[in-house]
Amino acid sequence: MIKKMQKTLIAIAFSFLSFLSFSATTTTANAACSVHIGDFDWDSANIHSAIGSFILEHGYGCDVEVTKGSTNPILAALIDNQIDVIFEHWTDNNVALIDPELESGNLVFLGVNTPASEQAFFVDRATSEAHGITSVDDLKRPGIKDLFTDPENPSKGRLTSCISGWTCYTINLVKLKEYGLDEMYTNFDPGSGGALDAAIMGASTKGQPIVTYYWTPTSLMGKPEVDLVRLTEPAYDKACWDEMMVVVEDIKANGPDVYEPSCACEYKDMSLTKLATGKFAADNADIIDFVNAYTIPTAEVNDMLAYYVDESGGDMEATAMHYLENSSNWESWVSSDIAAKVKEAL
Amino acid sequence: MKKIPQGVYYAIFTVFFFALLVVSYNHPRTRKRPDNVMELFSDFSWLNDWPRWLDLPFMHWINTNWKIFINEYGLIFDAIGYGLLRGYTELKEVAVQAPWPVVIAAVILITYFTSGRKLGTTVFVGFCTFFIGFLNPRFWDKAIETTTMVVLGIFICVVIGIPIGIAMARNEKVRNAILPILDLMQVIPAFCYLIPGIILFGLGAIPAIISIFIYACPPLIRLTDLGIRLVDKEVIEAAESFGASKRQKLWGVQMPLALPNIMQGINQCTMMALAMVVIASMIGTRGLGDEVLLGLQQLNVGAAIEAGLAIVLLAIVLDRMTQAYGEKIQQRNQPVKQIKKSD
Repeated sequence: MIKKMQKTLIAIAFSFLSFLSFSATTTTANAACSVHIGDFDWDSANIHSAIGSFILEHGYGCDVEVTKGSTNPILAALIDNQIDVIFEHWTDNNVALIDPELESGNLVFLGVNTPASEQAFFVDRATSEAHGITSVDDLKRPGIKDLFTDPENPSKGRLTSCISGWTCYTINLVKLKEYGLDEMYTNFDPGSGGALDAAIMGASTKGQPIVTYYWTPTSLMGKPEVDLVRLTEPAYDKACWDEMMVVVEDIKANGPDVYEPSCACEYKDMSLTKLATGKFAADNADIIDFVNAYTIPTAEVNDMLAYYVDESGGDMEATAMHYLENSSNWESWVSSDIAAKVKEAL
Repeated sequence: MKKIPQGVYYAIFTVFFFALLVVSYNHPRTRKRPDNVMELFSDFSWLNDWPRWLDLPFMHWINTNWKIFINEYGLIFDAIGYGLLRGYTELKEVAVQAPWPVVIAAVILITYFTSGRKLGTTVFVGFCTFFIGFLNPRFWDKAIETTTMVVLGIFICVVIGIPIGIAMARNEKVRNAILPILDLMQVIPAFCYLIPGIILFGLGAIPAIISIFIYACPPLIRLTDLGIRLVDKEVIEAAESFGASKRQKLWGVQMPLALPNIMQGINQCTMMALAMVVIASMIGTRGLGDEVLLGLQQLNVGAAIEAGLAIVLLAIVLDRMTQAYGEKIQQRNQPVKQIKKSD
């Protein structure tokens, strides 16, 4: 009796499995196209990729694969044409790497995804108001560095910086030297984006002073506990920035010993852009039209990020669907029949 | 004590399960709930895909309580962190300040005596130590920082882990209670406790040391427990027949005989601690892991492999030192074999 039951069970399991594999193969065969999206390890990139892949998958009927990673590996894969499209690119950080590729036609530029973003040094509002810290020069005043004492190196203050290996880490290093802050502050590498967020979040919940590099749009900036004041720096000046970037690239290639005094100014408030490979663009004109049209105002991105982190519980697809349900902005990116298909899938 | 019948447990679990279902269904954050519960029994479409309303708001509970927890108990963790940090910086300063030949000489001396004066092991370990700095002079201080963290982590593991292991070996109930916790500690992904660690202790070495404890302690506890339970029944009976008390039995018989296993546990603990220090570089921990991460982020294959090799060398040094000591004890515990050898 039991043996018989086992046999039937196995038979059922087998038929079920073969059915599954059959349905899996049919979807692949029917897909109109396949897109490999490159995603990064910060949340604004994640949601843009999620919205993009939702529309591509349900509107265009594409097979979408998303690969997530750090800036350099993903950009290298894009240049190598292993990845087709990226939905968020911090243009100014990777000029030296990307510009030649754009010129050679290996990559194509696909416009702006979020109009304005800032990168800067921030201090928590309580400390800023108590001690009148509003600019990077204020950090030099006597006694200020002791507010931010680095527990592992108590003679200095800790400036929680960008992640080492990211260009902004070296930029911050040069900036600290130019502003005369390097003797007073450590350019502290938090190791990863998540760790940087957690450090800011931890200091904010415990009410401890923190001076940190950070950027917008980010969900962290939208949280009620986190209230940061941007420190003013010398105004952005292209000539000065370019001069600094020469030193930065030199340090990246040859180590911090090759530092030479140059110039420093604030980060340019920049547009975040989109990129695709030239090969993919040539083969998929309709998709490229959509990616080109894709743009979301900064305020909406911040709202979405808050939703992503606090409401959806980090569910990217739910955030994308929430956006697509509640905004009609996106319908202008695609033709009406594709918009209808996307709506149907919601 | 009267034994509680199995059925009572089942009943409690069933009630608990249904209570959870009801609570999560009625939770204000549950989405896409039908207007009326009765719809669920007339329209069975929710059986196709996992319905949105069948969602335990576990994340929400944790987040709410986490905030309360930080506000209430944050100071305790600050104090723990401060204490550990003092230990870490003092230890590190001593080792970093010392001239490098002195450090290598110290490593060689320690290995020589722990390994029972084995010349081959000693020379090998000495060369490995030298090659860490030889690979890249920058690695020397970083290797010392890494070692300091590993040593502190192991110290905490030993202080907390061995007593727990002993308690487990002596009491079945304690063991049944602790085993699932050990499973949890070993399997839960490191980032689950690294990120809360930063919020509690700030960036740097302290959350790394705490993570070392969580990640590396379970094998030490398990091997201590195993080592004590593996001691021959006849030996214990002999001790008992001589009138040994429970304490005498533990310290005079069980612990010495379990020592090779415990040393094996410390050895495993060391290796896992080293692995964790590399992962902890993702949360701003200095040391050799930092170099690997930098190599990865800059796509610099050479730098990453160089740093990886330095970690392997450090692992060999720490492994041989603890392993050799364990072997020495094992030989001492088996006098019969030793006599044969000297023949």
